[in-house]
Amino acid sequence: MSVKSSDAQEAWEPKILAFCCNWCSYAGADLAGLNRTQQPPNVRIIRVPCSGRVDPQFIMRAFQDGVDGVLVAGCHPGDCHYSTGNFFARRRFLLFQRIFDYIGIDPGRLQNRWISGAEGDKFAATVSKVTEDIRALGPNRKLRDEHE
Amino acid sequence: MSDPSGEMRELAKKLLENGEVDRIIGWEKGNLWYQSPPLFITRAEETDRLVFDDFAINSLVTYLLDERDSGKKTGIFVKGCDSRGLVRILQDKQIARESVYVIGLPCSGKKDPRQALSSGASESSQVPPAAKCEECLYPNPVIYDVIIGEAVEAKAKGDRFAAVKEIEAKTADEKYAYWTSQYSKCLRCLACRNVCPACNCRECAFDISKPRILAKENNLSHNMVYHLTRAFHAAGRCVECGECERVCPMGIPIMQLNKKIIKEINDLFGPYEAGVKLDETPPPLGTYQTSDPEEFM
Ligand code: SF4
Ligand code: SF4
Repeated sequence: MSVKSSDAQEAWEPKILAFCCNWCSYAGADLAGLNRTQQPPNVRIIRVPCSGRVDPQFIMRAFQDGVDGVLVAGCHPGDCHYSTGNFFARRRFLLFQRIFDYIGIDPGRLQNRWISGAEGDKFAATVSKVTEDIRALGPNRKLRDEHE
Repeated sequence: MSDPSGEMRELAKKLLENGEVDRIIGWEKGNLWYQSPPLFITRAEETDRLVFDDFAINSLVTYLLDERDSGKKTGIFVKGCDSRGLVRILQDKQIARESVYVIGLPCSGKKDPRQALSSGASESSQVPPAAKCEECLYPNPVIYDVIIGEAVEAKAKGDRFAAVKEIEAKTADEKYAYWTSQYSKCLRCLACRNVCPACNCRECAFDISKPRILAKENNLSHNMVYHLTRAFHAAGRCVECGECERVCPMGIPIMQLNKKIIKEINDLFGPYEAGVKLDETPPPLGTYQTSDPEEFM
């Protein structure tokens, strides 16, 4: 995947990648759409079977290829379709955010939320909030692979 | 500390003669006074080459992985830090406990050949102890079949997270500038991976070219991903042997990231030390508590 931006500063819009669990947040995104809830168009969604499927390597690759922020959305703890995937994900991303912070990437660029299939409004609100957060942080150059 | 070489040689000889082991891995004296490289022997007459001096700093345990399918039995010498690496390999089920005869050596600290060179010393007594030994919490082997020598006491040490805290105090851009200055030096020689007891996968994600999971390009972006990925794969599993940093030809402070991860794991999920107990629950990222910190609501 490549999402290189045309680097024209004045036209900059945050580019955000969301990994959404098929069993909850992805349905939440669908519901937000069905309800025609207004939300900014900055988020591209990749559907994953579980937030536990999201490997930090996916996230780093996204930043290498030019996104400004990543959202990982999964089922509320206790609601995982596979019982425990999101509990493992929670540990993983608590730690990974702190690693990001340590190497100098604003941890706000990697956000995690639990959003159920019934929470269309929460999905839309989260997308708005994350977009605003990333807009405030500005374009990301860190970790970017400029060589391809 | 008295020189245990005599006892080491005697035991190694006996083990090989009895056919109790097929080979022995230890250290021998190198060509230069500040070198004691690994020694692999299969014949009893060679056991006189074994030494355990100030420069027997290399951990030998990852060599066990080379023979993991051979069905051979290895007699191996381990210091305190090495023994934790051995526990790592055993817990990860890379080798069977029965395939090793573990000879423990309490260790009062080793010296780094590179420091011997850079300090301009002409004999061992002039060389300072290796950095990792100054922070060592486990000078005595945590696993062994037999132990040679008296247990030594862990020295009272400074804060082993001091360097981490120093970096934490920087601003985001200072941190990034610091790490990029380090990672841009990386040659991607993979020495740090090859020596690591936690990097014991049969096929490493960095070696797989089809499908391309991780890139092989040597540039800053990919170097950073390499380091973050490797550290994350070892998260909760790193035994703090310091081998990665010792072997890095570019002097990259690899432990500063590993230690940060250890520090955070302790804070987030409770104190944990990898590779200390053989029969224990999965490492922190291989398990969870429903009561873990919740920040994602
Ligand atoms: S990451 Fe470094 S310190 Fe940790 S186990 Fe591997 S070689 Fe040892
Ligand atoms: S040993 Fe050093 S130079 Fe080699 S890959 Fe590891 S960090 Fe890079």
